[in-house]
Amino acid sequence: MTCAETRDLFSALADDALSPDERAALDAHLARCAECRRELASLLRTVKMVRALDPAQAPAGFVDRVLAAAQPEPRPMRLARRLSRPWPALPLSAAALLLVGGLAVLLFRASPEQQRAARYQPPAAPTPAVPPTPEPPTASAPPTSQPRTPSAPPTSQPPTASAPKSDTPPAPMSRTFELSKKEPSRNAAPPPPSTRPDQSGLRDRQPASPSPRAAEQAASSRVTEQPQTSQAANKADVRANANPPTREPAEQRVVAAAKPAERARAKADVSDRAESKDEATDNVAPAGSAAAPAPPAVAKTQSTPQSAPLSRTGPMTGIQAAPPDVTAQLRATNASTAERSLLDLATRVGGRQTGRRITGGRLIVELAVPRDAYAEFVRGVSTLGPVAIQTQATERPVLSISIAVSS
Amino acid sequence: MREPVGADPPGLLARLRAGEPKAFEELVIAYQHRVFGVALRMLGSRAEAEEIAQEVFLRAHGAVANFRGEAKLGTWLYGIASRLCLNRLASPDRRVTRGDAALADVPAATVDAAMAAERAELEAAMHAAIAELPDERRLVLVLRDLEGLSYEQIAEALALDPGTVRSRLHRARMQLKEKLERFA
Repeated sequence: MTCAETRDLFSALADDALSPDERAALDAHLARCAECRRELASLLRTVKMVRALDPAQAPAGFVDRVLAAAQPEPRPMRLARRLSRPWPALPLSAAALLLVGGLAVLLFRASPEQQRAARYQPPAAPTPAVPPTPEPPTASAPPTSQPRTPSAPPTSQPPTASAPKSDTPPAPMSRTFELSKKEPSRNAAPPPPSTRPDQSGLRDRQPASPSPRAAEQAASSRVTEQPQTSQAANKADVRANANPPTREPAEQRVVAAAKPAERARAKADVSDRAESKDEATDNVAPAGSAAAPAPPAVAKTQSTPQSAPLSRTGPMTGIQAAPPDVTAQLRATNASTAERSLLDLATRVGGRQTGRRITGGRLIVELAVPRDAYAEFVRGVSTLGPVAIQTQATERPVLSISIAVSS
Repeated sequence: MREPVGADPPGLLARLRAGEPKAFEELVIAYQHRVFGVALRMLGSRAEAEEIAQEVFLRAHGAVANFRGEAKLGTWLYGIASRLCLNRLASPDRRVTRGDAALADVPAATVDAAMAAERAELEAAMHAAIAELPDERRLVLVLRDLEGLSYEQIAEALALDPGTVRSRLHRARMQLKEKLERFA
């Protein structure tokens, strides 16, 4: 048996998984090869070190979170989810058509001059699609230049809801078709919600997914965010189903009179929202609510949290606001001297200060120290006074260290 | 290293198949640390490990009716966890870069500073060395040396030949030995 063949058996030897013949051959070779004996000893030490690592423990509350995620949804939620399920598969064009149709009807209804023109219009007379010039208001013509008010949000609902109920005469529809041809470029459903339609389907708990990535996406979205987002979305659905939008002529007119720039802005907001909250598209019926412009204020409040979670101590650090890797207590005769020494020490080993605060009368010094220099750092700290290390995780390349200094 | 996977609690599988909620809770309680441990060692991020570990149990919950019971429940769960981890690692736009994330925390305890320094140095080197192993070798090493599975159980969980398990484990250990030469 050669040295290479012998060493191939070392690992199995560590597990006592050699056949009697293999063991005999190995022992015979080891008896006459000191180099292989050293190799074997080194491998066995390595295995021992790995096995000595502490077994990982699941975080507190893990069981509860799993049980909550595995619980069947309450019946109303399930019903709302089922009702909303076919919708994400609806083609985008259909959603756009529905929206545009609704808007066209609204425009028509909101503009008496349109109705009048359509009623009396000669068949071939081409006229501008949207009359930009104000006409003398009639008794039944409410002002179209009404300012936008905070009550704008419901404007996302009326298009779809009021369209079927519209009591506009059928004859003038040729006129509104002309409008609808111009509108889609601005008011068609924005693309972002449609680019992720599969996300919604992936929420369904189906073990077999077509692609691993999709399965992982589904796993992550379901497992981590379902408790909040799906319930919120379901609530939204329930609200949408339970409260059919009431007709509010003033708000409908606001939509009809919205300027193109405003519409574009609203559309951009919706796109932003769809990018940041793609899960929300899951249970939201895309025909009306997902495609309709949302009020900018809502979109802003939803997009801002994305930039929030970083930087525990402001511009001094880019460290994520997570628990420190190492927490320790240092007892020193003079806290301020100890603090200076800590900073010097951190700088000397290639680290830096990331924060400083006083909590409960104790000075907390926060530092970032390269992992490679951590051992040297700890040795240095122990020269400043008695040190008690309470938590210690050393996997990140730069460790965040929080030291409570007391005198 | 963890204790080897023991026999399933009597009647647990039947109760799980019957859809008994208490049985599922028992399953999660019994295997949470094992499943989380594999995910953590494979993925290197506690948040990601918890996500995958939850998914393991949800998949098991949905599929236990079809589980034939030829393997132990623990081995079955290890198998699901292993596949999910490998899938996640193969995902092109994985959020966490391997080897650059928080890994195992040392259990909170007050320890002597000098010892802590040495231990930190060694553990950091070991974590880094394990994280640098190729995924499939690392998985076998984690299942054997950290989770305490036998060759046969690993082969069953990963649907591999025991000989493949043995050779992968050998290569993983030799690679580790080279990386940890100065500590060993």
